Amino acid sequence: MTNRELVVKLNNLKKINPDQNWLKSNRELLLSQISNSGAVELSAWKIFVINFESTMRAASRPAYALGVFVLMLVVGSLFSQRTLNKTKPNDSLYIARIISEKVKLNTMFNSQERNKLAVQFASEHARDITAVLADPQFNTEENQDQVAKLNDSFKKEVVTVKEGINRLAATTKDQPIAQSELLTIADSSKDTQGIQLSTGTGAGNTAPIAINPINPSISATATGAVNPEIILPAVSDGALIASSASSTLVVPVPAADNVSDSDKILDEAQKLFDSANYTQASDKLQEAIDEIIK
Amino acid sequence: MSINLIQKFKDKQALSKLKNHDKEAFIRIYDENVNEIHRFVYFKIGSREEANDLTSMIFLKAWNHIQNNNLEDAKTLRALLYKIARTSIIDYYRESGGRIVASLDDEDNKIEVVDETQDAEGKIDQEAEMELIKRQLPFLKEEYREVIIMKFVNDLSLEEIAEVSGKTKGNVRVILHRALNALRELVEKERKV
Repeated sequence: MTNRELVVKLNNLKKINPDQNWLKSNRELLLSQISNSGAVELSAWKIFVINFESTMRAASRPAYALGVFVLMLVVGSLFSQRTLNKTKPNDSLYIARIISEKVKLNTMFNSQERNKLAVQFASEHARDITAVLADPQFNTEENQDQVAKLNDSFKKEVVTVKEGINRLAATTKDQPIAQSELLTIADSSKDTQGIQLSTGTGAGNTAPIAINPINPSISATATGAVNPEIILPAVSDGALIASSASSTLVVPVPAADNVSDSDKILDEAQKLFDSANYTQASDKLQEAIDEIIK
Repeated sequence: MSINLIQKFKDKQALSKLKNHDKEAFIRIYDENVNEIHRFVYFKIGSREEANDLTSMIFLKAWNHIQNNNLEDAKTLRALLYKIARTSIIDYYRESGGRIVASLDDEDNKIEVVDETQDAEGKIDQEAEMELIKRQLPFLKEEYREVIIMKFVNDLSLEEIAEVSGKTKGNVRVILHRALNALRELVEKERKV
């Protein structure tokens, strides 16, 4: 007989139980004995309080543990993000950076912001590849396979950046400009001189003013409008700002110039990269990133 | 995790109710533990009648203890019952002048195996085996018998046994191992006879 067999047989001794009649009579006896020594039946309110307290006590530790876990997760993700951002394509942690970027992209709901971030990430990858290739200790005969892979990766990233920029430009162009965004009037629409800026057909003494953002010209038709002088100072950051003595008009225009600028910078970066001028290519890419962020 | 939480809630609830002198809570504890406490006492002293009396006394003592002392943790409730059982058994031995009753195998209280999966022959074999082990238990050292009953008959954890017996978990493990070997030897010797 082994110990295991013995244990199984010992487990069978569980079947030895006290006599049921004795159990019943003893239960009643015990109940009467404890009733005589201060046992009570708790009120419904007391039971509710006990249940509430027990729930709080039972749940307090898991809730605390969960809180600590969430805090660690947040702190960890913030810390790891900083660490991962410094990784280079030849680092072992680079894959973690890519995963974290993908997670970040997939958790963004605003498609335009997501595109922008994707472009930024791709251009950062391209910049990091140039930085790695610029390192003479890495870019050697021994690492030719890896260098070739990085070259391919660079080209892919640049293509991704260009596609992303075009997509961004398309979404910016497609987006309808809201009426409230189109006209921003500082101060009340009616000023003391009786000028009213509006896009609709004014009634009464209103002075409708039409502004063409491409070719700004002003026409005032109001009979009661006195000196409707509007100054259009300059085009700034894709917006036309029109101002009168007490009114300001802001008209956004698509950032098409930014797209072509970024494209140009990327083309230059690629040329520099192809001519193995990695440091300058990296600088150019940084310029492109700044342009995209802008 | 949710099962753990529910169990934790039940423990806290039982403890709070006991502290508030709730008789229903105590009776529930009695219902949950009476069989195993009775079994523990029965295997220790060997007499069913005496085990009945002692078990009644143990639960009454436990009630008084809970009313007069501050229980910190509901987990200790089971261990408390076993501790009271142990001291009650020691008192019983002292009062009976050191007379040890080793008659677990009285003919009137044979073990009845209720196992539908076994055929008649299998049941007889199983009963015989159980009787054999039951008869050998009183010949074990007190310490060995106690840990075997707590661990393999009443399913106490090593932590609980350590708390009841005032030993470390490592000690309990060693004692259990020795106790099993000793019981196996006794059973094998009896079979040969």
